[in-house]
Amino acid sequence: MSAKARPLLAGDRVRLYLTLVPYLLEHGQVSLAEAAEEFGVTTREMRGMVEKLTVIGLPGESGFWQQPQEMFDINWDLLDQEDVIEITNDVALRRVPRFTAREAAALLAGLQMVAAVPAVSDSGLVAGLISKLSRGAADAPADVVVAPTAIDAVREVVARGVNEGRAISFTYQAPDTAPTTRTVDPMQILITNAQWYLQGWCHLRQAMRTFHLDRVSDPQITDIPITHGGEHVPEAFAEVDDDREVAVRMPERLAPLLGGLLSAEHVETQSEVVTARLHLADPRGIKRIAARFGGAFEVLEPGVARTATREWAAAGLALYHHPSEEDAG
Amino acid sequence: MAARIPAEERLTNLVVALMATEIGLTKQQILDNVSGYRQRADAGTRTDALEKMFERDKDELRSLGVPIETIGDAADPNDLREARYRIPQAEYDLPSDIDFTPAELAVLQLAGSVWSAESVSGDAQSGVRKIRALGIDGDEPIIGFAPRITARDAAFSPLQEAIEKSRVVVFEYLKPGEDAPRRRRVRPLALVDYEARWHVFGIDVDVEEDRMFLLSRIVGDVRMTASTFDAAMREGAGERALAGLEEVAAANSALLEITPGTEAALRLGRRATPAVQGIRVPFVDLHILADELASYGPEVRVVEPAPLREAVIARLQAVVVTHADRGELR
Repeated sequence: MSAKARPLLAGDRVRLYLTLVPYLLEHGQVSLAEAAEEFGVTTREMRGMVEKLTVIGLPGESGFWQQPQEMFDINWDLLDQEDVIEITNDVALRRVPRFTAREAAALLAGLQMVAAVPAVSDSGLVAGLISKLSRGAADAPADVVVAPTAIDAVREVVARGVNEGRAISFTYQAPDTAPTTRTVDPMQILITNAQWYLQGWCHLRQAMRTFHLDRVSDPQITDIPITHGGEHVPEAFAEVDDDREVAVRMPERLAPLLGGLLSAEHVETQSEVVTARLHLADPRGIKRIAARFGGAFEVLEPGVARTATREWAAAGLALYHHPSEEDAG
Repeated sequence: MAARIPAEERLTNLVVALMATEIGLTKQQILDNVSGYRQRADAGTRTDALEKMFERDKDELRSLGVPIETIGDAADPNDLREARYRIPQAEYDLPSDIDFTPAELAVLQLAGSVWSAESVSGDAQSGVRKIRALGIDGDEPIIGFAPRITARDAAFSPLQEAIEKSRVVVFEYLKPGEDAPRRRRVRPLALVDYEARWHVFGIDVDVEEDRMFLLSRIVGDVRMTASTFDAAMREGAGERALAGLEEVAAANSALLEITPGTEAALRLGRRATPAVQGIRVPFVDLHILADELASYGPEVRVVEPAPLREAVIARLQAVVVTHADRGELR
């Protein structure tokens, strides 16, 4: 709900008025800053909207202006001197409107997504909310369905560690490295692209790290109270200091699929071909990404990354060149 | 200055006017009296231009969920010259028996935060705001979890609109392995996020059968046609779509050999069942699984089905060709 500077369209403003009026009537006096925060607009914008409210009213009779009691009015002194909003006369819009089909659909899909979060599934509130949102919608929302994720033991234990604020220890098997035992102060579970990640303070690395839960095994909740928590959780795939750069080239349509790996300042697009510099702890790790896109994604530099990619694919191909394969063919 | 009344002011005045009337207002009464139209009429704007503006305004308000009722001539429902317009309060208000507890609001706030697409996220926040406007404050926010849904496919929002309006859509669809996209005419019924990919479930009009399309394979724009379908077809469509996908996954599986202790073993192992020779992994789309399997290089070998094995081999060959030694380092 941060105040963003996106310009509001006429429709946005009407929608805002329809909820702002009942909100103000319900709350009595509200500071400009609080209302702006609530509605995701700047205080300047909110002041303008509230001032404009006073020209809204019941229709006049031909040739006559409306009477004051037929118009919205606000406490001007309070607004001018103390930056506080209060409606002193209201003519309509007293009740909160129904949800639009879009609003209901966005929340309904969001609910299916968060249903996997233990704090939500334990609450048993989801089914009731689905029914309330559907019943409270002005028009039937489009079915927007999010397939449920299976919750395994690893996810359960890690989620419990997050809830209880206790460090978790586990075996972590990162690609192409030996397994390590980690103890982590859990800060957040990130669920994106159907993958679960644990973000937290790694005691071994003495730094914030993101762990893919598929690579976690034998998680245990320890008795160690967390020392890092409540602080800012950085971007999940933020660059680490000792990262190395890898230059790659791909058709523009593939770029969005790289998600967090691409950062805008390292990307160049020319006639639908994207050239980008990615940051990886080990440049050879790019082989797994490159192989996913067949030949459409090319590793340019450094040479060791390019070679690693070629050898990776060649080694994969070699599995199919077994003599018995030909016999079976 | 007469004509400089901004659209939001005119639209909001129109809502107020239509809510305040029991019997409804005629178009003429609205154009003559509602602030925003009245001044334009006084300034000499032609009636047909004002009428067009009113039609657009009605559509705009309806898209915001404002129910505008048209009360026509009982004798001739198609004659709208003397029609009256109103907003029935009972259909506008959030029903008073719908109430939310602070715990429910906390759950909805988390649900509303999952969207990364700006437009959908705005809709979710706007819905949460309506509940807060009822005077309900949520419990402490649920922290420690950041679920995210992305909907970056350009086709998402036009398809959602077409579903809402029960309208047939037309788009070009490119199946992997085919040279050119083919035009599809579809009655869209539901959008489904399955394994982090958006699908549209609907009825292919040309074959009259249920079909599932991946949004990422839609080429170009989704065009909404004038042809509509019975909204009742949408009922239960989401569940039907999900059940259909699960059926496909149950019917299709790949037999794979994996190297223990590798990334492939970890990632595939989670969704696999053990088999006599390796593991079995269910899948709904051969090409998407082939992409993933190719990324594991020598960590996995496809035993069957043959088309999957060939798809993986083709990908690996292409990677080798693309990364052929350029010779300059030799």
